[in-house]
Amino acid sequence: MKWAAVLPILVLLAMIAGCDRKDGNDRNSGTVIVFKHGKIAGDPIILRGLLDSFEAENPGIKLRDETLPSSSDEQHQFYVINLEGKSADFDVLSLDVIWVPEFARAGWLSDLSRLFPPDERNDFFPGPVSAVTWERKVFAVPWYIDAGLLYYRCDILEKYGLSPPRTWPELVAQARRITSAEKGLYGFIWQGKQYEGLVCNALEYLRSNNGDVLRNGEVAIDSPENVAALSFMRDLIARYGVSPPLVTTASEETTRHIFGNGRALFMRNWPYAWNLFQDKGSMVRGKVGVAPLPAFQVGRSAPTLGGWQLGVNRYSRHQEAAFRLVRFLTAPEAQKLLCLKVGYKPTRVSLYADRELQKSQPFIASLCDIFMTARPRPVTPYYMMFTQVMQPELSAALAGVRPPEAALRSAGRQMRHILGGVR
Amino acid sequence: MAILLLALFCTAPLVWQLITSLKPDPELTRIPPLLPVQPTFSHYSALFHDPTFLRIIMNSAIVAASTTILALAAGSLCAFALAKLRVVCSKLFLGLVLSVSMFPPIATVSPLYLIIRYLGMRDTILALVITYTTFSLPLAIWILTSFFREIPEEIYHAARLDGCTPFRAFIRIMLPLAAPGVFTTSILVFIFSWNEFLFALTFTATPASRTIPVAIALFPGLHELPWGDMAAASILVTVPLLILVFMFQKRIVAGLTAGAIKG
Amino acid sequence: MLYVLFLSMRRELPIFGVSRFTGLDNYFFLLSDDRFWNALGNTLYFTLLSVSVELVLGLAIALLLERDFRHKGMMRAVVLLPWAIPTVVSARMWEWIFNGDFGVLNRLLGIRINWLGSPFWAMHAAVFADIWKTTPFVAIIIMAGLQAIPRDLYRAARVDGAGSLDIFMGITLPLLRPVILVVLLFRSLDAFRVFDAVYVLTGGGPANTTETLSIYAYKVLFQTLQFGYGSTLAVAVFLCTGLISAGYIRLLMGGKR
Repeated sequence: MKWAAVLPILVLLAMIAGCDRKDGNDRNSGTVIVFKHGKIAGDPIILRGLLDSFEAENPGIKLRDETLPSSSDEQHQFYVINLEGKSADFDVLSLDVIWVPEFARAGWLSDLSRLFPPDERNDFFPGPVSAVTWERKVFAVPWYIDAGLLYYRCDILEKYGLSPPRTWPELVAQARRITSAEKGLYGFIWQGKQYEGLVCNALEYLRSNNGDVLRNGEVAIDSPENVAALSFMRDLIARYGVSPPLVTTASEETTRHIFGNGRALFMRNWPYAWNLFQDKGSMVRGKVGVAPLPAFQVGRSAPTLGGWQLGVNRYSRHQEAAFRLVRFLTAPEAQKLLCLKVGYKPTRVSLYADRELQKSQPFIASLCDIFMTARPRPVTPYYMMFTQVMQPELSAALAGVRPPEAALRSAGRQMRHILGGVR
Repeated sequence: MAILLLALFCTAPLVWQLITSLKPDPELTRIPPLLPVQPTFSHYSALFHDPTFLRIIMNSAIVAASTTILALAAGSLCAFALAKLRVVCSKLFLGLVLSVSMFPPIATVSPLYLIIRYLGMRDTILALVITYTTFSLPLAIWILTSFFREIPEEIYHAARLDGCTPFRAFIRIMLPLAAPGVFTTSILVFIFSWNEFLFALTFTATPASRTIPVAIALFPGLHELPWGDMAAASILVTVPLLILVFMFQKRIVAGLTAGAIKG
Repeated sequence: MLYVLFLSMRRELPIFGVSRFTGLDNYFFLLSDDRFWNALGNTLYFTLLSVSVELVLGLAIALLLERDFRHKGMMRAVVLLPWAIPTVVSARMWEWIFNGDFGVLNRLLGIRINWLGSPFWAMHAAVFADIWKTTPFVAIIIMAGLQAIPRDLYRAARVDGAGSLDIFMGITLPLLRPVILVVLLFRSLDAFRVFDAVYVLTGGGPANTTETLSIYAYKVLFQTLQFGYGSTLAVAVFLCTGLISAGYIRLLMGGKR
């Protein structure tokens, strides 16, 4: 009989706890808009402070921010489920750079072109701008930017009188020379696990060899230049021995840790790692330099673009308020604050000349040029399907399961099928 | 001897978690030194500084407890009926119940979410409780049915002859005799709800109803993985479970032998 | 569930506004889809290996913990530990341990195997991690089943002069049969539908060598947004698990005498 008594009480408790939250916010007068985003680094207070100042500037609008896990996949899944169900539960959302054309084509994003007149557009880096433009309309505003960099151990390179390599063959030569002399050091580590990061890495080789995935809307992934570039990637592991086999399972953090423990000479990674290397207690503090990624010919460096953008849910019932929030968050002041406090790199070129930023993060100046050359992944609504085709094929080539040419040919075939098959 | 090996096997990775949670950040991936050179509690204090963490633990506790009780109540009644009372097409029913378990969860997430939203239950604990109960019922029913079937018919008939209603017989005799099954099921259901991730992620939005696995999934930043913090969180989260299990399993031992001999 | 079935017979590509009924087209495509067969093979291998090892181990553990010894209670709780950890943590933990460079495993064994990056080892690493995590599930249910066997039977058998092995084969196993089958049933279903444990470890790689059906379905559904085909895959999983269940149920009902 004890069971019968406890049971309803618990159910009641559960319902109360559940109901408790529901009505709190709706009783406010004025509009409530919801900002949905992946977790922002650092103390949540920083973002909250920013949102509070927005509320102060716009009385009558209240902001609620809801966090999602930072994993791009999990956010994508969440948005897909909601937007496909025409949810109006959130008004402003943060988008990974690769989703914009997809969501735009699906009709889930509001057209933000009027928030983004041409003179504003020029203040932003070209890469993100092309990533958020679909059919000549702008569907999201770039919020913060990321791009692939080459990290190197400046102390070791100095010891051998070398400067950072500008071509891939140069990198291989330097790495081989140094690792045969120094023990316990990997030459070059990068992300080769079967996931989106692999595509980011691979594009940096393909494009720097003058190849690409799509050319004028046609699939061009199996071109000879690409085969050569991919073979080179495979050779890094298999032939030159400059990259350890474990790169086929490495992601950003794995490589960051290895380099941070002083066990690698070169690393390809995103800018976030820099601050971690300069932390107290880091083994490589003060010994790390950053350079543009090498290419197959000098000057053709093609870092892949990362970063996040802000968009407005087309089903939102508060379009005006949402527009204002997007405008606010991408304004120079907000971007500068985020950079200073949290380390997110701004998407506005003008901020890179800002004195305060340069003083607090001297690293920033060198990044500006790199970001100018950053290239987005193919801007097409088919991208998500393409990447699902590319990832296993690229991984197969790297792991030695299939020769690069066969892998790329198979990828090309599947991609053409996708392009042709959507009727 | 074998016991020792077993203990080692089960706990080794967790001990490694514990060690990791005490290492300061720069030391996290440095091996040889297996043990931290400068042990620190910074990861744990970071957790306690976060006011929502406690609330989240509470949420998980409520959800798990409610689910367990509901699943047990419904499950044992079902099992009892299927095992002892003459129910038509018991096999068909069992099969149907099982079919709930046969779908990959990711396929059911989307439609379920739409239903939950339609009912206005998004971001509530109730949504989680209902969903988890539904998905744990098959296991509960199957295990309990199996246990109830093992109990000899004579005991049940004797009780009925003595004038018990089926329900009294259920409470007084069947449940205690199937105690190991009951407690086992409750532990499994509890742990399942405690650790469930996919539905929790989809149905919750704020700390109002967020549960522990989602909170842990929120630790990583855009590229960083604060491994020290996560290790500390996982230790903190597993210890109460351990205590709970320890308390429960004593009942498993005590419960039965008495009943069997008496019968 | 019915909604999923419905979707599987359509061609839904929400981002392109394509939405129409195509009958069994999706199913025909499925049959000729290499990636599907690859995933199916991986899943079967994973399930078979994982479940059989877990059964043996779980049985051994349950028997081991049956006898009375000091700290018996504590040991039972300890044994449950792997099951008690959230999957999100456990998978990352194993990813860490298996790491080729700073993973403890390679350190302790003194070798340098690229566990998660080599097509051969990756699957087995995933299986191992899964075995570690879910053997307690098997063990605890079998333990409960063992409890349900009346002591008198053992005593009587001993009196009759039966040896330990005879007792095990003649009394314990047959009486455990229903419990074992239930455990096998649920473990097989769970292993067949495995997602989290493998996805975090390897993402389905390298080169799709660890891609299970659930992972493939997830990618199709949520990454490429092909709701129609994704649902077809889900239905396929459902049918397979249905077959497995039917098999077990047949065994279960058969033995009831």
